[in-house]
Order: sequence, then structure tokens, then C-alpha cells
Amino acid sequence: MMAPFFKYGLFGDQTSLVVAFFIGIGFGFFLERAGLASARKLMAQFYLTDLAVFKVMFTSIITAMLGLTYLSWLGWLDLSLVYLVPTYLMPQVVGGLVLGAGFVTGGYCPGTSVAATATGRVDGLVSILGITFGMFVFAEAFPLVKGFYLSGAGEAMTIPKAFGLPYGLVVFAVVLMALGGFYGAGILEKKIAARSGE
Amino acid sequence: MRKWISTLTLNKTLALVALTLGAIAVFAVPVPGGTITLDAKELALVIGREADHVDPPELASWIIEARADYRLIDLRGEAAFAQYSIPGAINVPTARLIDAGLGRPEKLVLYSDDGVGAAQAWMLLRARGYKAVYMLKGGLDGWKDQVMFPIVADNPTPDQRTRDERARSVSAFFGGRPRSSSTVAAGGSGFAMPTVPTLPKVAAPASPTGGAKPTAKKREGC
Repeated sequence: MMAPFFKYGLFGDQTSLVVAFFIGIGFGFFLERAGLASARKLMAQFYLTDLAVFKVMFTSIITAMLGLTYLSWLGWLDLSLVYLVPTYLMPQVVGGLVLGAGFVTGGYCPGTSVAATATGRVDGLVSILGITFGMFVFAEAFPLVKGFYLSGAGEAMTIPKAFGLPYGLVVFAVVLMALGGFYGAGILEKKIAARSGE
Repeated sequence: MRKWISTLTLNKTLALVALTLGAIAVFAVPVPGGTITLDAKELALVIGREADHVDPPELASWIIEARADYRLIDLRGEAAFAQYSIPGAINVPTARLIDAGLGRPEKLVLYSDDGVGAAQAWMLLRARGYKAVYMLKGGLDGWKDQVMFPIVADNPTPDQRTRDERARSVSAFFGGRPRSSSTVAAGGSGFAMPTVPTLPKVAAPASPTGGAKPTAKKREGC
């Protein structure tokens, strides 16, 4: 049996929604267990006093990357069928900056705002309302930004494809980057804590 | 070594595992999707038995019966597709075939102007692990000759008459007209035209697989 199961016709749209629901529940659970349903914890990332967000996200990236790599190597997963978001470089850079500005202002990103609301935090609910309002404004203004929104190649670009590097080498480089990042994050946290006299 | 590993914290152990897996990936893991393995013997058997073909009359009967267990793929460009397409076909030019989101368990019937383009696309899909891929024999030219404008005998035998009646009704269903054998033998098209008559545009029968326009790719991700 080959994955992705949906792409191989193991189940249809309706079942995939049920699967997505449970994956969402799992995602929210682990966000909450990692402490990322707290705006204080999230904000500490920006002030460099607690780099848990960086560590959690990078851990999930390398776990998923190694998992996908080895599953495809074993022949259990067809990596060519795994969905990749099309690359619209400049619109995505601008979108990332807008999201970052909202994140640092409100204290939550979309996923963590839902996790926070689920744990009873009112600020999470306010964030969801803000995000919903923002989506409404964006939808209404879409004709004005459509040209920019769709500018760029629109192809799913990957690092191996963009730079012509062997896939395995990129995997190893990202792992090294993550481990270096974790080590650096630990040092940085200690330095910031010492400077603020904690 | 084992003693040293047992002294590591959980975080360091996990880091070591990740580092090891990453290092192995450099040397052992091939580029996913970069290598293609074909079972040459299986392909040769399929090609030899012509099990990879669908005859135009057979496809015509599927369309008339409004069968919904296959997808008909027109591999030509958008302009050619807009000019004429077999009812129920969706337009997926060969260059976009791999990224078109076609399901691997689906039965796919490919056609282009002749058989060559479809054969190339057939090989491409088979190489990507698509099993239920078929070609319309003769492509659109075969469709014109056998379904739209079939040749009927001027003085048919009883057997021929039955076959010709069927061909006439099928041709009429798709907006075509049969050609007489005598006119074709004399070098004409049957309609006093230099080539096969212009194809009429026919609405596709209602079918979940069909539609004049390609289905939009379902958006995924968050």
C-alpha cells in the first residue's frame, strides 16, 4: 500500500475531511502541550527570552522531513504526490511580513489563536475575530491585489530543484542547521536571561 | 560507545538520531521521483496485446452509455481543444500531465491528433506508476474516420447493412455523417471536400467525468 492514501484513492473527500479533523485535533493538542497556546510564551520568542517556538517548529520540520525522506526511500510514500504550495516568492515574502506584524502585535498566529481559545483564553478569541475580519477585508480587496497576489512563477519550488542540489544533501544540511540552531538558541537564552538578571 | 550513549540526555539522543539519519540520507537516499523503474517485459506484453488501446467505436459506445468509470484526456493545446474535442474530454496538455492531479487508480483514456502524442503521454504516465492508462487508437484522426465520418458501403450485404446502420446512428449521435465507399474510393472525402469534413461541436452527455473544461485542481494545504 502506497501513501499518500488520498491520492491513491484509498478514501474520498468526505473521509479526508474526517482525517483532517483528527489531524487538526492532534496539531492543537501538541501546540498546547508545547506551551504555544500562551501569548506570553509566543511573545518570548520575539524578545529572545524563550525560544520554544523556534525549537518546536524546527523539531517538527526535521521530523517530518526525515520521515518523508525515509518513507519514500522505503517505497511506502510517493513523494511526487505530496502537495507543495506553489511558490509566489514576493507575494509570500510580503504575506509573511504582514502575518509576522499581526503575530507580534496580537501575540498569536492563526493556529495558536485557535489552540488558545480552546483552552479558554479570551485573547485567543479576540485574535480569531481579528483574523476573521482581516480575511473579510482581504477578500473584499482581492481584486485590487490580485495582480500582485499571483505574480511570480507559481510553480512549487524546492531547494534541491532551485539550486540543483542532491536531495539527501539538502536533508543533511537542514538537520545540521536545526541542530546548530538548537545549540545557538540555548546559548542565546542563557545570555538574555543573564542580561535581564533572571 | 554504549556507555557514552547511555549518559546522553533525551534531547541529545534525539539530536544524534537526527544527525545519523541526515548523514545516511546524503549517501543512501536517492532523489525522490528522480529515478524511474519500468517493467519492460510487462510493458512489452501490454503493447504486444494492444491492451493499452481503446478503439474509437468502443469509446463512442461508452460516451453514448454515459459511462462514468473513466476520464477522457485531450492532450492537445487549448486552441485545438476549443475548436473540437470528443464529448466528455478534459484538456490536459502533455506538458501539464504530471501536475494535473490525475488520480492513479483512475482509468484514463488519452488522445491527441494522431497516436504518437498519446503514446508518449501513455509512456510518461506508466513511468510514473499510473496503471490504468489507455490510448484512443488512431487518436482524433481515428475518431473522425471511424465514428464521425465512417465509410459505409453503397451496396451493402446483410451483414454490412447491420454494421452500417449502427455506424450511421453513432455518427448521427455525435453530429457526423457517414461517407460512401464509392466516393472515398474515387479519392474524395464523401462530401466533395479536400479533407475530412469539419467536425461539428457536440455537447457532452452529462457525466461526472466529463465537461468541456478541465476540472480545477483542488486546493490543498492550509
